[in-house]
Amino acid sequence: MTAAARPGTAALFGIGGALLVVVAAQLVGQFQLAGRAWPPLTDVLAYVTTPAGSGLLLRNGLVTLTAAAQGLLLGVVVAVFGAALALVVPMLRPGFERFAAILNAFPTIALAPLLITTAGREDTPMVIAALSVGFVMFVTMTSGFANVPAAHSDVLTVLGSSRVQRLVRLELPRAVPSFFDGLTLSAPAAILGATIGEWFGAPKGLGLLLVSAMQNYQMPLLWSAALVATALSLAAYIVFVQFQRIAVRRFG
Amino acid sequence: MTRALSFLRGLVHLWPVVLVFVAWDAWVVLNGYTSTVAPRPFPVVTDVVIGFGEYLPYISYTLGVALVGLLGGTLVGFAAAVVVWSSAALAGVVTPAALIIRSVPITALIPIIARIVGYGDPAVLTSTVLICFFPAFVFTLSGLAAIPASGHDLFRVLGGNKLQVLARLGVLYAVPNLMVSVRITAPTAVLAAMLAEFLMGAHGLGALFSESRSYMDMERAWGVALVATTVSVFVFLGARALENRVVARVT
Repeated sequence: MTAAARPGTAALFGIGGALLVVVAAQLVGQFQLAGRAWPPLTDVLAYVTTPAGSGLLLRNGLVTLTAAAQGLLLGVVVAVFGAALALVVPMLRPGFERFAAILNAFPTIALAPLLITTAGREDTPMVIAALSVGFVMFVTMTSGFANVPAAHSDVLTVLGSSRVQRLVRLELPRAVPSFFDGLTLSAPAAILGATIGEWFGAPKGLGLLLVSAMQNYQMPLLWSAALVATALSLAAYIVFVQFQRIAVRRFG
Repeated sequence: MTRALSFLRGLVHLWPVVLVFVAWDAWVVLNGYTSTVAPRPFPVVTDVVIGFGEYLPYISYTLGVALVGLLGGTLVGFAAAVVVWSSAALAGVVTPAALIIRSVPITALIPIIARIVGYGDPAVLTSTVLICFFPAFVFTLSGLAAIPASGHDLFRVLGGNKLQVLARLGVLYAVPNLMVSVRITAPTAVLAAMLAEFLMGAHGLGALFSESRSYMDMERAWGVALVATTVSVFVFLGARALENRVVARVT
């Protein structure tokens, strides 16, 4: 509404909102309104700044980030290739579309424990991240490819271009904004996927830290691990939103 | 006749699912995995079909939690968005905060909720409700924000108050958006319910999963994976059908 119309006011409101959350979280912790499980934010921050705490968070955060990044790369490559294949071979298309709906609803937790026994404890977070990303990217890319105006496609066909030429000259450039849309959704999905994989007995990572801190009632550690996971997810999202803006300006 | 034909054609288009089963079988056989590492599809499907009665209580629990969470989270999110929308200052302050809280990964949220609410059913339900809350809130708010200025003007000229704008105009803009949020969160609700059950619950598919894994009953574990996928897909398809109906009715 009016707040959104004035960017200065909107920014001010945003900062106010963030402050409100921080103060509220601190007060709830201070007065133990939610019991001992909700520590004051200052305690959490104090834990993060201790050398032991920051070392632990940094090491495990890096493990999760690496798994998520590798998974992101793998998932994106496979999904884009699959969506392009469905486009070039039209016979595959209805099947692939139906499959995309199933993949979209697939609960990744269903695979995690099964992957532990086959892919191994180390690789499972990366594989789960790749799967989560792959599902999201496949769905956005199929809809991105389908979004090509029939007239453009007809012109190229009449001029005698093959399906592959149409893919390279028309459908791929048209799908660039969808690609970046998919990436903004994929970045948090990769972090989530990696942490799900780590829940099921990975040797390192934020997911492991979260579960063990919960079981051992280490509240500052639990909260700071959650903060780091959120920060990673949010940072990845913001970075890809910037890419998306550039892409929309160039190809949109 | 044409109906039967189109139904058959629909079935043929499910070939990727068949391919997954074939690939699964080939993968197990080629790697020489024993059934304690990865069972072949046939025993798993047999376990699901024969032992369906044993699966049923777990399925209904997970499905119930997911649906209640989806419904509750959506309603609370809608109500919160309406309250926030009625004040520009409140909307400006709350929306960025909601966007930040929304990006907390479920895996980080569930252990915290488990500790605050306590292990068990309330924690499972709270996790699911909370996870469905934020998308509903954000989508409703963006729907309400899309009411054109001319609409506001018309109501003001005709002497309508804010409540009338909401009831006669806002709902039309917000409900399609709200249904998008239901479709998007439906599979997430199932995932969240299962993750919470896996971590602490004594009930539900997530619990059955961890149980069968610790007894090395791999057929059951893979069976749960299969059943959970089916449940999630059906919840998603149901949400999508609901979305199409509601959007067709409203617009």
